Amino acid sequence: MTEHLSYKETNDKNKVVSLEDIDLSLTYSYASYLNWLFDDRVELILGKIYKMGAPSRPHQKISGKISYFLFHYLRNKTCEVYTAPFDVRFHTGSKADNDIYTVLQPDLCVVCDLAKLDDRGCIGSPDIVVEILSPGNNKKELFNKYQVYEEFGVKEYWVVSPSEKTFLKYTLNAEGKYQASKLFTLGERVNSDVLSGFELDLDEVFKD
Amino acid sequence: MSGPYHNLNEKVLSLEDIDLSLTYSYANYLTWLFDDRVELIEGKVFKMSPAPSPLHQEVSASISYSLYHYLKNKSCKVYYAPFDVRFPKESLADKCIYTVLQPDICVICDTSNIDDRGCIGAPDIVIEILSPGNNIKELLNKYNIYEEFEVKEYWVVSAMEKTFLKYTLDSIGKYQPSRLFTLGEKVYSEILPGFELDLDEVFNG
Repeated sequence: MTEHLSYKETNDKNKVVSLEDIDLSLTYSYASYLNWLFDDRVELILGKIYKMGAPSRPHQKISGKISYFLFHYLRNKTCEVYTAPFDVRFHTGSKADNDIYTVLQPDLCVVCDLAKLDDRGCIGSPDIVVEILSPGNNKKELFNKYQVYEEFGVKEYWVVSPSEKTFLKYTLNAEGKYQASKLFTLGERVNSDVLSGFELDLDEVFKD
Repeated sequence: MSGPYHNLNEKVLSLEDIDLSLTYSYANYLTWLFDDRVELIEGKVFKMSPAPSPLHQEVSASISYSLYHYLKNKSCKVYYAPFDVRFPKESLADKCIYTVLQPDICVICDTSNIDDRGCIGAPDIVIEILSPGNNIKELLNKYNIYEEFEVKEYWVVSAMEKTFLKYTLDSIGKYQPSRLFTLGEKVYSEILPGFELDLDEVFNG
């Protein structure tokens, strides 16, 4: 058997009920991922498994607020906002399950091309991804996922720190590279090139 | 800006005796004999956080050490807080200086700016380590000062999130942010050729 389980092999004999039964040194596709029935949340980056920790209360509070402001702004508009757990599949060519090796669960995402949405989540890049930092887990957000979002052309990547009360926005430039904003904090408002007229008041976001 | 408060004959022994709604100069600041650390930004008094946390101090020490080690036998010098940096607009006279900051760490290459009381004029690099609850001052007020006075690089470090961001002054005097660096990465400075800061050592060292 090759190290990738093909879609045809997705049947009961391939179901995995415990994360401990997975060899983390191997490479997996979305087809394999669909066979994982355990409760632990994981992400796939270029076929490698990254475990997700349970988010903290401040993380969830801020996630809730930002999604509320986005949801409120997007009423009667075409873009939609989704909150984790929500699978985003990043495909390089074929959209077949066994050809997809990167599957992420951004804390929040805004998707404007609704054709990318299906019953299992989103296939292709969202327009905006928001990640809320968690001490101890930032290498994945700021390094691995940063590279995926840039490479796959997510137009804006927002990085929010609940502990420092900061907001940083990466915007894709004409060459397809991320340009960082300054680090915004309390007392400031941030805008988005994707959502004209949207304004996020950081005092509201970080208010206790 | 309202006129500065000038009573330089009286020493002030308690921070509570200062009217925080008024505007003060470095000359006033020199008469403040209390232990509380404060900074002046355009004449306004900003209290400094309660004593920095052990984590803040560990990161500060690690970065200072790397800089100190690199700068041995070179002309730039590294200083760490408490160390007063005066930002004069025109006159260098004490009563004409309204901004006095204590950066966590600074690198000064023009050593003629250094006198017995600290540094007068912009350092080449300023490093601030964030403290939860105190970041408006670092990221808004002091950011504006460092950019206006042309500190060439402003490094912002989060000990909690283990992140490093570097602002570099561009050709029109505006700060350009780097990306947010984190563990597993090394960062460099245009001012210090060959210097390399290993963030694994800074945050896990």
